[in-house]
Amino acid sequence: MINVHELVKWYGPTLAVDQLTFEIEPGQIIGFLGPNGAGKSTTLRILTGFLPMTSGRASVAGYDLTTQSQQARSKIGYLPESTPLYGEMRVEEYLHYRGKLQGMDRRSRFDRINMVCDRCGLEQLRRRLIGQLSRGNRQRIGIAQALLHNPPILILDEPTAGLDPTQITHVRELIAELRGQHTIVLSTHILAEVEKSADRVMIIARGKVVAEGSPDELRRQVAAGSSVLIVEAKAAQEAAQKVITEIHGVQSITSKADDGWTQIRVTADGNIDVREPIGAAMLQNGWAIREMRHEIATLEQFFIEVTAQQDQAVA
Amino acid sequence: MKQTLTIARRELASLFCSPIAYVVLGLFALGSSLIFLNTFAPDMPATLRGTFSGLIWLMIFLVPAISMRLVSEEYRNGTIETLMTTPITDTQVIIGKWLGAMGFLMALFVPLVFLAGVLEMTGSPDWGPIISGFVGLLLAGGLYLAIGTFASALTQNQIIAFLITVFVICLLTITLYFLPQAGWVWPNLRKALHYMNVNAQFETFNKGLLVMGNCLYFCSGIALFLFVAVKTLESRRWR
Repeated sequence: MINVHELVKWYGPTLAVDQLTFEIEPGQIIGFLGPNGAGKSTTLRILTGFLPMTSGRASVAGYDLTTQSQQARSKIGYLPESTPLYGEMRVEEYLHYRGKLQGMDRRSRFDRINMVCDRCGLEQLRRRLIGQLSRGNRQRIGIAQALLHNPPILILDEPTAGLDPTQITHVRELIAELRGQHTIVLSTHILAEVEKSADRVMIIARGKVVAEGSPDELRRQVAAGSSVLIVEAKAAQEAAQKVITEIHGVQSITSKADDGWTQIRVTADGNIDVREPIGAAMLQNGWAIREMRHEIATLEQFFIEVTAQQDQAVA
Repeated sequence: MKQTLTIARRELASLFCSPIAYVVLGLFALGSSLIFLNTFAPDMPATLRGTFSGLIWLMIFLVPAISMRLVSEEYRNGTIETLMTTPITDTQVIIGKWLGAMGFLMALFVPLVFLAGVLEMTGSPDWGPIISGFVGLLLAGGLYLAIGTFASALTQNQIIAFLITVFVICLLTITLYFLPQAGWVWPNLRKALHYMNVNAQFETFNKGLLVMGNCLYFCSGIALFLFVAVKTLESRRWR
């Protein structure tokens, strides 16, 4: 549905997007993740035909963005980062205006406006002035506007930025409802967002894709690198430390005493499962075990890790 | 075409939502009435010629106030992004915006119809020059708006857009009005400068003449500045 090949974008002397190559299949929900200034919005703006690329190739729904920009644009529904709207217009009026710009006829405009208003919870607000609405409601109008012409591709740039938790849930639910009907590309710097809704996540830092995969895959990738085990046993701190350090595969440990119990954080070689030998050692010494668990790798950690690696590589 | 009119209609509607528009409407109505009253007396010819001549000067400052927000506001609000990502062309955007502003210009001229009505009630005016004067005023206003659209496409700051427009219009009016009068100007150049002067071009209309050449002057001027405006809007693609 979307093909990007060695996309490069320079803003004067600043490199914003660096040889980005990726492909998005129809019906997928893709999460673009990255710190602020990573090049997410720039990439999305290029995909929507708003900005030109410096070099590379990109096509949307089979239309090349440089030579068939107009056809490509008609296949996209776009919600820009700050949800720009005309404050002096009424909601319904604005949606009609957008529909006309998309070349929709009167009949389909009325039908689709009813549909998107219902879908985005705008029924009560149709006659209100946009300028008087709250951030959350403006966001709904932005999404309604993107959905209006029933585009095969939806590009949402930070759809939940600046919303309160209830509104964030609403937007997430809405995106989940749209699954399967549209190919959705959404960008965010909040991980929870893509962790829940995206089929595939692309982590971007400094204009490059630094990691890619489903949220589960990414999580496994972190877990595989070096696993961290947390053990809590009823033992003296020094004794427990000494015993565990000697186990094959253990790389480093930290521990803290807690009311007769010792909590030990074991970092082990990713290829060796140290749980069994640790358990055996505890048993041998007659120490009771209260807890033994793998520290669950969150995307958050992964995100920090890969973006930090990228920063280090540059430095 | 349909999309162009859609943009024009939105632009016109949003002009009527801004306070500046009403200030301009008020000032224009006030200005035209004052100039009219100045020439409106017993035994004076029943014409709007003097009023029109005065208005062409007043428009130098009033018309840029209409056009300054046309594109700048889209830049400043960020709505340019939603606008340019719909399947419409830069040309449609510029022409649509200019047409919307032209619609507002017509609303601006409504008081003049009343003034013509007053003449009709109190005397027997010659309608020919009044109508040709109207046409001239509309063409000159169209040219000013085209310059304004171009200036507005240059910047997201409305004040700067306003000042650039006034500056360019002043070049075409005041400068080209006084420059040919200077003694040192080469005679052929004087003729050329006089030709490019908006006031000189307008005066023919005001006399009651509809000359092809004058219409061509304004139409080509409008086309030129709208073309430059389109290129300016497009320039973000190759900047």
